[in-house]
Amino acid sequence: MLCALLVTGWILFAAGPAPAAHYLKIGLLEEPKTLNIWLAGDTWSRKVLSQIYQPLYLRDPETLRFVPWLAAEAPILDQKELCYTVKLRPAKWSDGTALTSRDVAFTARLIQEFKIPRYISKWRFVKRIETPDSRTVKFYLSKPKAIFLTRTLATPIVQESQWRSVADDAAKAEKPLKRLLKYEVKQPVGSGPFVLKEWRQGAYLFLRKNPHFFAQGKSIAGMKLGPFIDGLIFKIFGTSDAAVLALKKGSVDMFWWGIQPGYLEDLRSNTDIRLFSSEKSALYYMGLNLRRPPFNDLHLRRAVATLIDKNFIISRILQGYGAKMHSMVPPGNRFYYCDEVRRYGDGLDRTARVRRAYEILKQAGYRWETPPVDEAGRVVEPSWLLAPDGRPVPKFSILTPPADYDPNRAMCGMIIQEWLRALGMPASAKPMAFGSLIQQVKVRRDFDAFILAYGNLSLDPDYLRSFFHSRNDRVRGRNTSGYHNPEFDRVADAASSQMDRDKRRALVCDLQKMLNRDLPWIPLYNPNLIEAVRRGKVKGWVQMLGGIGNLWSFCRLKPL
Amino acid sequence: MELRRFIFRRLIQIFVIFFVILTVLFLLFRLAPGDPISRMIDPDMTTEDAERLREQLGLDEPLWVQYVYYVRNFFTGEFGTSFHYGQPVVKIIWDRLPNTVLLFTSSIILSAFVGVFLGKIASWHKGGKIDSVLTIGALVTHTVFLPWLALILIWVFAYKLAWFPITGMVSEEVWLDPEAGIVAKALDVFHHMALPLCTLFLIHFGAYLLIMRSSMLETLKEDYILTARAKGLEERVIRNRHAAPNAALPVVTSIGLSLAFSINGGALTETVFTWPGIGRELVFSVSHNDYPLAQASFLLIAIVVLLSNLVVDVLYAYLDPRIRY
Repeated sequence: MLCALLVTGWILFAAGPAPAAHYLKIGLLEEPKTLNIWLAGDTWSRKVLSQIYQPLYLRDPETLRFVPWLAAEAPILDQKELCYTVKLRPAKWSDGTALTSRDVAFTARLIQEFKIPRYISKWRFVKRIETPDSRTVKFYLSKPKAIFLTRTLATPIVQESQWRSVADDAAKAEKPLKRLLKYEVKQPVGSGPFVLKEWRQGAYLFLRKNPHFFAQGKSIAGMKLGPFIDGLIFKIFGTSDAAVLALKKGSVDMFWWGIQPGYLEDLRSNTDIRLFSSEKSALYYMGLNLRRPPFNDLHLRRAVATLIDKNFIISRILQGYGAKMHSMVPPGNRFYYCDEVRRYGDGLDRTARVRRAYEILKQAGYRWETPPVDEAGRVVEPSWLLAPDGRPVPKFSILTPPADYDPNRAMCGMIIQEWLRALGMPASAKPMAFGSLIQQVKVRRDFDAFILAYGNLSLDPDYLRSFFHSRNDRVRGRNTSGYHNPEFDRVADAASSQMDRDKRRALVCDLQKMLNRDLPWIPLYNPNLIEAVRRGKVKGWVQMLGGIGNLWSFCRLKPL
Repeated sequence: MELRRFIFRRLIQIFVIFFVILTVLFLLFRLAPGDPISRMIDPDMTTEDAERLREQLGLDEPLWVQYVYYVRNFFTGEFGTSFHYGQPVVKIIWDRLPNTVLLFTSSIILSAFVGVFLGKIASWHKGGKIDSVLTIGALVTHTVFLPWLALILIWVFAYKLAWFPITGMVSEEVWLDPEAGIVAKALDVFHHMALPLCTLFLIHFGAYLLIMRSSMLETLKEDYILTARAKGLEERVIRNRHAAPNAALPVVTSIGLSLAFSINGGALTETVFTWPGIGRELVFSVSHNDYPLAQASFLLIAIVVLLSNLVVDVLYAYLDPRIRY
């Protein structure tokens, strides 16, 4: 039997691969779980579905501003009625039927009727939708909401004729949402550049070019769009090792996932491989529990922020592939990023950091039997830190994911522990299983400090309100630190309903400054996204915030 | 008649054990840390929306209510819907099961045959060079770290020599080719199966070899072997007809249980080779707290293992006339 297999191997090896059309083969680390867009929560399903279902507006890769996509022009606001009018381009679904305003209205009503969890927060404030003609949609808002322009209008649109009967059936069920999410979409009808041809579960997923794609041959955001390739073939690899080998061997043209630093040297020396390093919209941070000692004291939080050497983290732990973060908004989000926030200890060496943190704590009344800085100004090993009331600062833990989940965060926890001990703080890093960590932080809220991350933050900064509004300080709420600041709540609410972009920007900048002042979280770093592709197959990759794996790239790539 | 009574008694025991497993699995997943919906929500989702999702998935009910539904659903054949796939777990398992059975059953049968054969030879040449080489070889391959061996085989045979595909079960070049017939597709699957099969074979044959060797050595000391020799029978006949069938009993047990466990695949093998089987789904469902999928997968394994034990017991009576129930 083994001989038969070896012979088979030889036969197929000798025959070689069949000549392919201009397909781009993309390696994925996991199989997409579903093609039901309302259920799809995993990265892999969403990567595939982003090629099929399209929104009204899309971010320009260069400016990151919204450009009309299915829409023909920017939305027109009627201030008096608080109504936005969106005109649609002439577009067709992949089955050849026309995409009309009824499809847009149906999508919105479906989300509202079923309260689809991933989308409803973007549509709750839309009180009425009208479709005066097949190419015009009018959205009436119940109140001004900034995310309408950035999130609501970026919702993927589904075809009414495909979903109408599904929605009607689901509505009759005991649990309508559950029934809707259970619906198995075998052949999604979309309006994107590609359409599903075949999904062989566990092996590959083949999307072919959509002959009815509305942007084919058009110029949008200054780019002439295709697609110029015949299709995309997504291949599944269980491990990064296998995917990187497949890329080197030429079994795939692109690995649509971040390349870990361990592979970089090898890939860089391979002339067939091209690497792209892109900024991400990510936030890696140290969260602090403000509900209890020791981090209920602002001075201690500031001392901790001063002691954390972000330069060291970037250069040694991330090996240079990342950027320091000082604000909760990533620098890549150029419009909303506030550069005026305070940078604790930035530019100081380790000794100077200890001295500054020592000054902060000393002035706040903290004491040591042996201070970390002696009378001559030298940094020495201190005794344990004593709180202003004379009692020792309680021991605290820094919870991190384990090294096999994220070695960088685990390492950060260890190194921060050492830096804090240099000031006499009784810190200990505690890596724990990711599920337990989430449970501890979000449900039990029994922690002192933790290191977690958001790997793909929206470019709309409304998440600041979600993360820090006092209303969200509850079990399973997003305000994990227990931050309560009425001023923050007021400005966050104002920013959330400010429709003027520039005024909102000023409010968001205020929010960043407040958070930076109060430090419920200490922003640490934003790692770069390194992606690898093979040279010599296609050209025209479009690099933007979040990497080269985007709709623009797949619409622009041309075979060589 | 006694055998029937024995089987009936064992079936009752199996039912009780199964009920215990059913309960333990339920508690194990619910009490383990982690939130099933934590990977289904994003920063934009409000807490209320997340709670609504929890309610739709039935996770807001008290634990005992969930348990009652779980047991009731199990006995009505309703294993639930995967949180992440949105599909009935029976369908998901049913789709993956043939892939796992194909790979693991092939590997167990192949390694058992080769292991038994070589074990017989090794015992016959006890203390000699052949015995040493086979025993040491079996120990080495049996104890090697599976993912390491798998990656080495991939690196040498798939990457360097390019004889085999790196991972997966089929090639899109073949399966998307409208002219490819069933033979070409079957050959393609065998082509992909070669490296995972070699890995599993190398890991498993050693165990069968060692069991067979030690069992044979015991058997060769028996009086009836001496009698056979005294009768002047050929050594080959003594080895193959008299010693080997009796020595094979422990191997039969081992094969029976291995076949049962083969349905859970090997999480490591299936992950490294991206073999779309039950093992990968087990890893996914456990790591993502997909309770219905994880529970159903483990229950399937439990049923097959319990029934296999019964089959092995019955088979013993058939293979060894001295054993009666």
